[in-house]
Amino acid sequence: MGRPTTVIPLGKRLLPAVVAITLLLPLLFAGTAPAADLSLSSKTYLRYFERELAGGNKDTYAPLYEYLSADATNLGEMPLAFHFYGWGRLDLGDPSGSGKESGDIGSAYLEYLHPQGNAQMKLGRFFLTEGAAMETLDGAFVKTTTPLGLGISLYGGAPVEQSILNGTTVGSSLYGGRVFFARAGFVEIGASYLMENGSFQEGKDREEVGGDLWLRVAPPVEFNAQATYNRSVSEMASQRYAVRIVPGATFDISAGYESYTYKGLFQSTLNPAFVSPSVDNNDEVQTIFGIVDWAFVPGWTLEVAGKSIRHDKSDPGDAYRGEVGVRYTYNNKKDVAGLSAAFVAADLEKDEYQEYRGFATYSPSKLRLTLDALTQQYKKEPIPGIGKKNQYQVVATAGYQLLASLNLSGNVTYTQSPNFQEDWAGLVRLNYDFATTTGGKK
Amino acid sequence: MTRRMPFPAVFGAALIALLFGCSAVSQTPSVPPKHPEDLPQGRVDCLECHKDVSTGALKQYDSVRHSRVFIDSHGTYARQGQNLCASCHAPEFCQTCHARKEEMKPDTKMGDRPDRRAPHRGDYTVTHQIDGRLDPGSCFRCHGNKSDSRCKQCHK
Repeated sequence: MGRPTTVIPLGKRLLPAVVAITLLLPLLFAGTAPAADLSLSSKTYLRYFERELAGGNKDTYAPLYEYLSADATNLGEMPLAFHFYGWGRLDLGDPSGSGKESGDIGSAYLEYLHPQGNAQMKLGRFFLTEGAAMETLDGAFVKTTTPLGLGISLYGGAPVEQSILNGTTVGSSLYGGRVFFARAGFVEIGASYLMENGSFQEGKDREEVGGDLWLRVAPPVEFNAQATYNRSVSEMASQRYAVRIVPGATFDISAGYESYTYKGLFQSTLNPAFVSPSVDNNDEVQTIFGIVDWAFVPGWTLEVAGKSIRHDKSDPGDAYRGEVGVRYTYNNKKDVAGLSAAFVAADLEKDEYQEYRGFATYSPSKLRLTLDALTQQYKKEPIPGIGKKNQYQVVATAGYQLLASLNLSGNVTYTQSPNFQEDWAGLVRLNYDFATTTGGKK
Repeated sequence: MTRRMPFPAVFGAALIALLFGCSAVSQTPSVPPKHPEDLPQGRVDCLECHKDVSTGALKQYDSVRHSRVFIDSHGTYARQGQNLCASCHAPEFCQTCHARKEEMKPDTKMGDRPDRRAPHRGDYTVTHQIDGRLDPGSCFRCHGNKSDSRCKQCHK
C-alpha cells in the first residue's frame, strides 16, 4: 500500500515560486541597470514609551522600525518596473509585540505597462483593488482594455492574509476577474467574480460576485454604484450608491446610501472582532451620508460631513455622526492649519461622544514644526469602573532637512485618557529619499 | 494517460492574448508609470495642470481631485483601476493602512503630517469600542483579514 498523498493547495505551492521569480527577475536586467529609473525611500523610526504593569512594575519599549520602499521603472528601456515595499522591527527595549523582532513584505512585484491602451500585467506580491477584490496577493494579474472600451482583468494566486481567529486559517488560493466597458469621460461599468478557497465562517469558501458603475450623467454630475453579493452564504455583502456634483475646482458635494450585512461582509473574516460574541452576526447596517468640500476663499476650505447609521437590531442602536471643519493652506501650500468638531448622537448613551481637534504646521526654510491637539469627550464612561470620560492628546513635532534627500524629525506625544492617567511617548524619524530622475511617487 | 488542458483555461488564455493584442495596438497613450513632474507636499490638485479626461482612469480629472469627498470614497474609484493612482502613489501609500501586518498606527508614522486624514488619532483603543459597535464595516476593510494581533488581547 502506497503512502498517503499530502495535498498542498495550489496557492501554497505557487507561493515560494512566485516570490523567488519576482525577486530574481530584476537580476535579468542587471546589465541594463543604468537604463532604469530608480527611486528608493527609507523611513527609520525609533519609538520610546513606557507602560505600567500590574504589581507596580514598568516596561520600557524602544522599537526600531525600518520601512523600505524601492521602485525601478523603465527596466532595460522597456515598459517594465519592479516595486518593493517592506518593513522590519527590532526592539531595543522590552518586546513591544510578539517577540523582539517582526516584519513583513507588503509588495514585491514586476509590472508591465504597455505604452498604449493601458494593458498591464503584474507578477509577484501586490495590493489589488479590482471589482469585488481588495486583496494582497502572491500571484499574477493581467488587465487589458480594447480601443472599443471593452476590457477584462484576471488574477490568481495565494492570498496574503493573517489569521488570529481560532480554528480559521487563511485562504489557500484566490482567483477572479472583472469584465468591464468604459467610454472615456462618460461611463465605466463592470461585473466581477472572486473565489477564495478556504474554510471560513460556516466552513465555506468565499465566493463573491460584484457590480460597479461610474456614470457622468451631466458635466458636473456623476453617479457611483458598487455592490457585492456573497454566494457562499447567499447574502448581499455590501452596497454603496452615491451622487456627486463637482461644478468646478472649488466645490464638491456627495450624498448616498450604503448598506452591508454582517453575515455577508464578515463571512471571510480572520479576526475574532467580527464574529460572535463580539458582534451579532445577523445584524445589518444601513447608512445615509453626505459630504461637502468647499474652497470658499482661496486657501480656505470648509468640510462638512454627516452620516445616519441604522441597525436592524436594537443593540447597538442607531446613531448620527456630524462633523464640520475648516482648513487654511498657506506658505505656498507647504503648510496647513485646521480646526474641526464632530459629534456622535446615538440611541444608547454609551455610544455618544464629541471630538474637537486643532492642528497647524509651520515650515520656514529647512525647518518644519507641527502641533496637533485632540480631545474626545464621552457621554458615559467608556471603560466601566474608570470614572474618566475625557481624553486629550497633543502631538508636537520638529524636523530639519539635513540634505536634499535626508530629513530628521521627532515627535513628542502627551496623552490623558481612560487608559492613561498621563502618558509621554517619543519618536525619532529619519527619512532618506533617493531618485535618479525627477517626478513620481509620494 | 495524458491530461488535457481544460477548455476554459485555454479559452481564457486565448481571449486574454487577443484582447491584450487589441489593447496593444490602441493609439491611446497609457497613463505613465511615474508622474513626470515632482509633486509638492500636501494635497495635490490635479486640476492645476490637468484638464479633460485622464487616459488612465478614463474619468475627468475633477473626479479624482483629492477633496474630502474623494478621499472618503477613494475605494470606489480604486476598484475600477489602480493605474492612475500608481502614477503618483507608491505601493506603500496604500499599504500604510491596507496591510496584512502593521504595528504602527498611520498617525504615529505621519505625526509630522497632521494635515493628512490618518485614521485612529488619539488613544483610539478607547474610541474604537464605540465606532466599532456602530459601524464595524468601516473597520473590516483594513482589519477583517489583515489583522493586528493586538485585537486578540480582548477579542477572543
